[in-house]
Amino acid sequence: MKLLLIEDEKALATSIQNYFQRENFICEWAADYRTAVEKINIYRYDCVLVDLMLPDGDGLDAVRELKRTFPETGIIIISAKNSLDDRITGLNLGSDDYLTKPFHLSELNARVQAVIRRRSFQGSQQIRFGKIQIDPQEHLVLVDQQEIVLTRKEYDLLVYLIANKNRVLTKESIAEHLWGDDADLMDNFDFIYTHIKNLRKKLMDKGCPDYLKSIYGVGYKFSEQ
Amino acid sequence: MKLLERILKYQIITSLCVLTLGAILFYFSVDYLIDREVNKELMRSKSKVSWQLRHIDELPVYILQLGDSLQLDQVRYPGQMVLVERKLFNEFENEYQPYRQLIFYERVEGGWYRVTISKLLAQRKQLLEAVVMTVTFIVALLLVSLLVLNSWLSRRLWRPFYKTLRALDSYEVEKHEVLTFPKQHTVEFEQLNQSVTQFTDRLAATYQNLKEFTENASHEIQTPLAVILSKIEGLFQDESLKESQLVALSEISEAANRLAKLNQALLLLTKIENRQFLAGTEPISLVPIINRKLRDLEDLIEQREITVKTDIEPTGPVMHPALAEVLVNNLLTNAIRYNVNGGTIDIMLNAGKLVVRNTGAPIHIDPELMFERFRKEGTHSASLGLGLALAKTICQVNGQTLTYETDGPWHILTVTW
Repeated sequence: MKLLLIEDEKALATSIQNYFQRENFICEWAADYRTAVEKINIYRYDCVLVDLMLPDGDGLDAVRELKRTFPETGIIIISAKNSLDDRITGLNLGSDDYLTKPFHLSELNARVQAVIRRRSFQGSQQIRFGKIQIDPQEHLVLVDQQEIVLTRKEYDLLVYLIANKNRVLTKESIAEHLWGDDADLMDNFDFIYTHIKNLRKKLMDKGCPDYLKSIYGVGYKFSEQ
Repeated sequence: MKLLERILKYQIITSLCVLTLGAILFYFSVDYLIDREVNKELMRSKSKVSWQLRHIDELPVYILQLGDSLQLDQVRYPGQMVLVERKLFNEFENEYQPYRQLIFYERVEGGWYRVTISKLLAQRKQLLEAVVMTVTFIVALLLVSLLVLNSWLSRRLWRPFYKTLRALDSYEVEKHEVLTFPKQHTVEFEQLNQSVTQFTDRLAATYQNLKEFTENASHEIQTPLAVILSKIEGLFQDESLKESQLVALSEISEAANRLAKLNQALLLLTKIENRQFLAGTEPISLVPIINRKLRDLEDLIEQREITVKTDIEPTGPVMHPALAEVLVNNLLTNAIRYNVNGGTIDIMLNAGKLVVRNTGAPIHIDPELMFERFRKEGTHSASLGLGLALAKTICQVNGQTLTYETDGPWHILTVTW
């Protein structure tokens, strides 16, 4: 998978690049509008991450350019601007998602994967992890070909964990992914624990190994080892 | 008291004093003049009578002026010439009237005669009446003209002043408006208007700068925060970190997340105050927003065993949909956050009114103070303390009112429009 990151803040760009490299993605970086447009016109990317405020141009123009050259490329806008207008303009121009800075890298990762999945061909839309197989269109979860019934939150949690497999996920990032702005309503994170416990039980009941590891004081990690 | 009324008050007092003094002065001077004139006439009559007596020896009928009388009495010895004043019976008027008499003695053909010329005096009372009447009339005329002038002045001349005053009265700095006025012919008013225009111009610019600064600062803070959070997340993946380091990192991460949330909430607050969310013209229904929000919060409500009762009609205020969303969200999350386990939330939406009430621990301060920023009752560490401040600001900007009351275990938040 090949990504292009258009972002003028070097420190942030490095973090994002490192994160995606671990995912075995090729993540190229353009620090300004000019370089971005050059790259967009030459190479083909699976997904492009665009910051709206660039030193020499508007990220929205890059989105327009991309829609003209390779309309099938996934686009995620990452912006410090949380204004409704920008969001609507961005989505109207054909970007797939809009993420407001600051964000969790794990959240960005999950969204990138969702965009790529939506834009790829039918067959590869399935999510697989160990014994787990998910059909995102049907919201169907199979373990060894047996269906397990998950609540909406449990399903979202599972998809998020798999998208960020082999990584340490903080409780805040999980809470924010599941409840968005309402995450701060949870006075402690026991609530996540309830969902994690239920999900783990449902998976293990169908013969799944215990993929979910709790990392003391931090959060959780979903991995096969 | 209006300025014009105060001016009028002083004008009236001054005119009354001046006119009273003037009237007294007038009375005495007229009295004096008349007195002198009477004496002069008596003296003239005396000369005429003396001449006649000496030369013609016979007094013609019409020697004196009308109303005067002449009396000749034969006396043995002459006396001093005197001028006296006495009341005599006037047969014509049938009453006693004041007369001035000049009494002198004249020698005619060896005998002495006492000559008395009596002159009817104009009555002082009548004079006084005339003066008082005249002055009263002048005063009345003056007052009427002052009042008329005054109302005309306030209608015409002072109109621009009152216009400026009204404009200042309804001035709201949050609207970023600069007050401008048409050109005035009165120098003072023109100066006043120019000052007001310059003043509001500076005010609006300062306010705008301040708001822009706050907004820009919040924006600029987002990027370093994003860097911090991304670096922390990168570090979490480092397997060589010890557990204690991971715990410390996790605490840093929590604090940075909180900072990011706080910043976003403040940014939203500033944007609302900056009126970046303009209300449409049509009222929007709050029903779908409430239902969606309740669905989102479903598992939280379930976990805390809260009973939600709704009584809602499809209605709502005129406001930006994004703001309506934030308003409903903040009211509902507030009702959940500060509820007791196993408590109740009642949501009532009728024409012109949204009431969200919840059971909760009693608060020990004036409920209205809960709308202040960063005001928290108790230690809800996860709360930013901006939720109700945001709700209040949204209502203020859109012209709705938001009130907070407590009634026993109930905390009642009411939005009216």
